[in-house]
Amino acid sequence: MSEVQNTFQLKAGLAQMLKGGVIMDVVNVEQALIAERAGACAVMALERVPSDIRKYGGVSRMSDPKFIEDIMNAVSIPVMAKCRIGHFVEAEILEALEVDYIDESEVLTPADKINHIAKNDFKIPFVCGARNLGEALRRINEGAAMIRTKGEAGTGDISEAVNHINIIKQDIEIALSLKTPSEIQEYANELRVPFKLLQDLIDNKGKLPVVNFAAGGIATPADAALCMQMGCDGVFVGSGIFKSANPEKIARAIVNSVTHYNDPKKILEYSKDLGESMQGITVDSLKNFEKLSTRGW
Amino acid sequence: MKQKIKLGVLAIQGAFKEHIHHFEKIIEKEQYQDYEIEVVEISQADQLISCNALVIPGGESTSISITAERIGLLEPLRDFIRKGKPVWGTCAGLILLASKITNASAGQKLIGGLDIEVQRNAFGRQLNSFAIPKVDFSSFIPGCKDFQHAVFIRAPVVTAINIFNNTTDSFIKNNDNNDKYFNNQSVVYAPSYAYNFEEKKPQVEILSRLDESHKNLIVAVRQGQILGTAFHPELSKDSRFHQWFLEEFVLKL
Repeated sequence: MSEVQNTFQLKAGLAQMLKGGVIMDVVNVEQALIAERAGACAVMALERVPSDIRKYGGVSRMSDPKFIEDIMNAVSIPVMAKCRIGHFVEAEILEALEVDYIDESEVLTPADKINHIAKNDFKIPFVCGARNLGEALRRINEGAAMIRTKGEAGTGDISEAVNHINIIKQDIEIALSLKTPSEIQEYANELRVPFKLLQDLIDNKGKLPVVNFAAGGIATPADAALCMQMGCDGVFVGSGIFKSANPEKIARAIVNSVTHYNDPKKILEYSKDLGESMQGITVDSLKNFEKLSTRGW
Repeated sequence: MKQKIKLGVLAIQGAFKEHIHHFEKIIEKEQYQDYEIEVVEISQADQLISCNALVIPGGESTSISITAERIGLLEPLRDFIRKGKPVWGTCAGLILLASKITNASAGQKLIGGLDIEVQRNAFGRQLNSFAIPKVDFSSFIPGCKDFQHAVFIRAPVVTAINIFNNTTDSFIKNNDNNDKYFNNQSVVYAPSYAYNFEEKKPQVEILSRLDESHKNLIVAVRQGQILGTAFHPELSKDSRFHQWFLEEFVLKL
């Protein structure tokens, strides 16, 4: 009965266990406990939610490990934490800390303008953001065991997440329409991904080899259900919960609506009497350099 | 005339689609002549009532139980178990079917049904997740000497069996809502009515243990019509575990 550890199956397997669930950003132990009690399937431990990262500006880095550790000790659901794009030492620290998942995140200030982390070298699984199929497959090729849309974090504007879900779908349709190996090779070149990865996707009828969550701008139960109906496996909610008037209530409502995403009557019920949502900013009002989703390559 | 069978897979959170995929594959392959089998996602009480059997998938046990309670599914699930219908829980599902768990999280509730104690996250965090490439299940699944990939992800284990069957502890026998009290110690019990002490129950059978390097920990049990596994056959490419549950539990009604 020899065992194997840290295989891709196990890394992607944990993400499969998170499906149909809500992963909530939390900035302290109290919020982590609220998230757990509300039914979150995991929490993302970070010092500032994306909307505050926008507000404060400056360089945004991995959170203090002591802070992440406190949250890991407080809850028994999986704990994720973010490192900067390309910052493999931050990732090594998070692995040494034994977080359950690392988010190589565009929400933090990128450390490497050319390369993402070689994630296959790590024992801990990674989730990465993607705006299109090329980004998703490049991250998977580097070892990401879970993908999320980038959306536009910290805005409370769902439009960019919707946009990314649509683009990934359209790109997959293009891949499925390809007939000859040379066409596939050409598209693989365009996406900057290995031929085999694209061929596997086509053989698998367009299904990505990892779980795909929605993220970036989800602020209401309806937003969450929208992403689920569009085919996502689950949702990340950042500022949308703890920047609203009634975090506990909205956290519960979003968890419920991800379970019953196909039932408008239930979502109607869950949407009632939640108090003020996070205020938010429209994606269109952001200048290009202010968009976090443009980070990553 | 084919017998109609409705097999539900609890679809609150977790890897329910993976279970459904396995069952559909088997049904297509085996073409059971005497049965018309439908596999359905269950996320509401009215869908559960018409099911002949139920699978509770892997996922986050806290999330599944808290959401189940809030959407009004916890009591219907306990009713379903009390009716003696076949039920299989994997990983989070095993936790939910236990009568007692340790290392619980705040607010977590149990459905109950299996007379076992389960330790949540018994191996630690994700870094300690593991898979066993080949496992011999032939002692209970005929001919299955080399099951491919038993996957343990932040897995629980069964730490005691037949703890209530012979108990004289009046607290356990009479307390219908003891989860809150025990939360302080990270221990949660299913309410006693979920176990139904009035009824004579079969003993819990140990189906599978890990080897000595894993302290012979118990990872698969059966008590009558209820099956619990600490690992995830739904993440394996091997459908033999699903086929066995379907034929041994569901179609032998």
